[in-house]
Amino acid sequence: MALISSLLALRRDARILKLPPYLSALLIIVGVAWLLVLPLNEYSRNTYVSENALLPGQVHTYFTGSEHNVFRAYRQEVAALPDLSIEERNNKLADLFRESDLKVAKQKYTYQVADTNISNENVYAVLQGPRADATEAIVLIAAWKNMADEVNYSGVALVLALARYFKRWSLWSKDIIFLIPGDSTSGPQAWVDAYHDGHDPRTIESLAIKSGALQGAVAVDYPAGPWGHRYDKLHIVYDGVNGQLPNLDLFNTAVSIASGQMGIGCTLQRMWKHSDTYEERLQTMLRGMLAQGLGHATGPHSSFIPYHVDAITLVTVGDGWHDEMSLGRTVESLFRSLNNLLEHLHQSFFFYLLLQANRFVSIGTYLPSAMLIAANFSIMAIALWVQSGRPAPPPNPTATKLVKKPLKKLKFDGRHYVEVPDEPKNEKEPSDSDKKEDPTENTTDTTPPVTAVSNNGSTALVPTASLQVTERALLLPLLFTLSTHFLGLLPLYAFNLTPAAELRPIFIVTANILTLLPLLTAWLLRFSFAPTPQQTTLIQSFSLLLLGMFLSALATLNFSLSFMVGVLCAPLSFVRERKGMVASGVWYAVLVLLNPVMVCQVACWVAGVGVEEVLLKASEGWAVWGLWTQVVVWGVWFPAWFAGSVVVALGFFPE
Amino acid sequence: MPANQQTALLYGGAAAVRLLLFTAFPSLPNLLAGRVEVSTPVTSFKRLQEGLFLYTHNVSPYDGGVYHQAPLLLPLFSLLPNPSSHPFATNVVFTLVDLLSAYVLSQIAESGQSTVTRLFKSSRKDLRWSSLAVAAGFLFNPFTITTCIARSTSALTNLFILAAIAKACQGASLTFLLSLSFASYLTMHPLLLFPPLLILLYDALAQRSKSAPSPLAFTAFHILGLAVVIGALLSASAALTGSWDFLAATYGVRLLLPDLTPNVGLWWYFFTEMFDAFREFFLGVFWLHVASYMPGLTIRLRKQPLFVAATLTGIFAIFTPYPSIADAALYLSLVPLFRHLFPLMRYTFLALATILYATFLGPAFYHLWIYAGSGNANFFYAITLVWSLGLSIIVGDSLYAALRDELDVERPELRGKEVKRI
Repeated sequence: MALISSLLALRRDARILKLPPYLSALLIIVGVAWLLVLPLNEYSRNTYVSENALLPGQVHTYFTGSEHNVFRAYRQEVAALPDLSIEERNNKLADLFRESDLKVAKQKYTYQVADTNISNENVYAVLQGPRADATEAIVLIAAWKNMADEVNYSGVALVLALARYFKRWSLWSKDIIFLIPGDSTSGPQAWVDAYHDGHDPRTIESLAIKSGALQGAVAVDYPAGPWGHRYDKLHIVYDGVNGQLPNLDLFNTAVSIASGQMGIGCTLQRMWKHSDTYEERLQTMLRGMLAQGLGHATGPHSSFIPYHVDAITLVTVGDGWHDEMSLGRTVESLFRSLNNLLEHLHQSFFFYLLLQANRFVSIGTYLPSAMLIAANFSIMAIALWVQSGRPAPPPNPTATKLVKKPLKKLKFDGRHYVEVPDEPKNEKEPSDSDKKEDPTENTTDTTPPVTAVSNNGSTALVPTASLQVTERALLLPLLFTLSTHFLGLLPLYAFNLTPAAELRPIFIVTANILTLLPLLTAWLLRFSFAPTPQQTTLIQSFSLLLLGMFLSALATLNFSLSFMVGVLCAPLSFVRERKGMVASGVWYAVLVLLNPVMVCQVACWVAGVGVEEVLLKASEGWAVWGLWTQVVVWGVWFPAWFAGSVVVALGFFPE
Repeated sequence: MPANQQTALLYGGAAAVRLLLFTAFPSLPNLLAGRVEVSTPVTSFKRLQEGLFLYTHNVSPYDGGVYHQAPLLLPLFSLLPNPSSHPFATNVVFTLVDLLSAYVLSQIAESGQSTVTRLFKSSRKDLRWSSLAVAAGFLFNPFTITTCIARSTSALTNLFILAAIAKACQGASLTFLLSLSFASYLTMHPLLLFPPLLILLYDALAQRSKSAPSPLAFTAFHILGLAVVIGALLSASAALTGSWDFLAATYGVRLLLPDLTPNVGLWWYFFTEMFDAFREFFLGVFWLHVASYMPGLTIRLRKQPLFVAATLTGIFAIFTPYPSIADAALYLSLVPLFRHLFPLMRYTFLALATILYATFLGPAFYHLWIYAGSGNANFFYAITLVWSLGLSIIVGDSLYAALRDELDVERPELRGKEVKRI
């Protein structure tokens, strides 16, 4: 009871309102620092294979010897294909599959992205598992062109050789699908969409043959030409579209087979050299977060993951002594492991950050970091809400005592309950001093106005102040916050539906508009609605509340995106309507630099890629992969930024 | 702007928003009708379509085990053109249902029973929102709009519940009996609203005619009336479907919870985990729990029957077996009637923030569980707990405020003082 009453007393304390900005800042700092300690041994764990059916590397692999000659023959065949048309090339590939006694089908697809057509054709073959009942399948992919737009000669040849080799085994208890998509991103997307009947039949052909539920997919990217190339390491790519990740067991199996059984080093996130230092672990993690946050497709496997099909891509990198046969054996062993699966991969983690090939951080350890940052916005929203409910300071009374402590007076005015002096305790000072002042206030110079309330003949005198309620004018802030969220739809549509050539001009126009729009809105707001300070506070409160809410929901779906947006929005917790041009100008400049378009521009400049290229990819993501990073940018980040900027810009137009 | 014009603007705007959403996003109704938060097994429009198909092909609609809604909905909806090919008529019907609900809600607000009843006059009675604002709160509540777009039959139940309350406020016995019977016929649990609404009706009549009718005869007459109307509805249903099988398929399902499809309530998860041996016992306990609020609240808040009815709809939105956001929408649109209690409520922001968070996290966690496969049922259940917590905070907090308001009238000298429960 004592605790509750002391907490209630604390609630009445004006000083409690001074706390939230510091608390928010603390949460942001802790949130970022949290991320920085994750690479330490104390906070990360070694990976382990959780699903015991996988038994990685427990089988002997036989893809050697004469299979090498077969592979080389296929590679020569494939080397003759790039000059042919898509039609002829796929006919040839289909013939090669057919010669291995597999069922073959083809699928044409066309996507329209920024007014240009991406059209190509997939070819795939189905091996019916001798012990399978066609209810489950695993997929082996070699895209005709890899992410760098090189022809995937050896990858395709390896898939052909493995198809012929796998066909002779009697132990497959799942169907195996060999897929050669026309390119690395839209081809697999068209195929996997059509496999699950989620495609648009007008532009994407339906699949002629199908098998059972997909249990896993492995893509091979080995662009070595007809004379081969010995590689150094396998680069395992695992990021799916929208930052979804495959089950960690699949990744672990691949690593454990490649490095344990075959002796091939594994690397990830383009960290070609990784000596397991803190800096390199951190760099790996940050690269992983960036890829996850942007949510773009990183390989042919990416499109499978949204359909809950765990998938990875094995990319050969560097110059070393491993040859195509060791890659083939890796894939063979990996497929033998997947073949063992009794149920869908579910044992291990779906949310993780990898620090190197055998070290990871699980969701329980890293999630608080993004949640703390999201919580900072919620705390500020609550604080601003409470602040908006406090009445404006009353006209200065004559009493010297009250002039000395105007805040104490507040507490008694805006309250509908007066503090009841409880038995004295060792509480905080404020409640003590309150009690001392209580009698003086009610008896001496500042007698508060009283109102007579009568009921059933009995009359009571009640302080008028306790009858007053601080009303919040909610309509304008609510409408403003809602409309800013709808305003975000405009750039969203503009960027996703304009032709490629106009992306650059649109970008520049948007950048200019975004710099000026808050000023214009603030001016209009000031002179048409004349928002009171309370309404400005409420605008900010609502926008921060929504931001905190969106970010905490997003953190469960795409941690990295939520974290990045949270950090970029962090100043919004601290901006206020300032008095004076200079303060407003400084804050406004800070916000202008942090608007989505400006951040995109700077990020492109730092990364050394063209803005157009990024916009085109984003447009492709929207049209092909179902990417929703843009929705977050324009539906979460932009409205919050806009509301904050307008609040700051109001400082330029004093009442 | 004159009041008429404002009313026209409000209703026109609400209708326009709904019809615009229906026509601009033709796939939206189906998408929402498939969401577990909006459509439960006992209110889903998809299931209604299935029932309609069977009904129009002269098969008992309950044979498939899919349709669990009242039989009389079938002839009503079979009059409309097929919604999968010509959805416009159905959309208009659901839009009209919402407009009608808003209209009866504004009648409740106009009656003023929320602040001044026969036995009680709130000291803050001047603090209230206009009936137009209350109607706007209902019409533009995103939950109401979602329910309307999903074409969930809860919209009809809500209409009848609101109509029953409105007629009780106005002291119109017959229409009150009819509306409440329809509501109870459709979803059963509104029957629990009968006692508080009966008191409300009695108060309204007594206020109007000065000479209060005899309470005993009044109660007996209305209980009889309710039984007759419900009996007539049930007999009509039996005549329509040719057997009494519909009782087990509709009320049986509501009572015994055979369909454990997730929803925003608290029952489904509990009963998926339950050993069969305990099922009957806990069904009894859960139902007893829901029902037990009614007598307690009715007796304690005898002087404010409208508040009891509103609070009970909140209880229904939390504790009934198949709640959806439509039930929450009904409760949240009744709460603004008690604007005078808002200054006494202590956790408004917390409760609203909780509900908002749950609204966004719920679909996210459902996605993780069902589509991404990276979460599990506990994720979604956790969020339904948060959702129920948010609603319970509003229910509890408004109860506190109502009691405090009564105390302020009884003991004006305590006004503004901190009170302690002993």
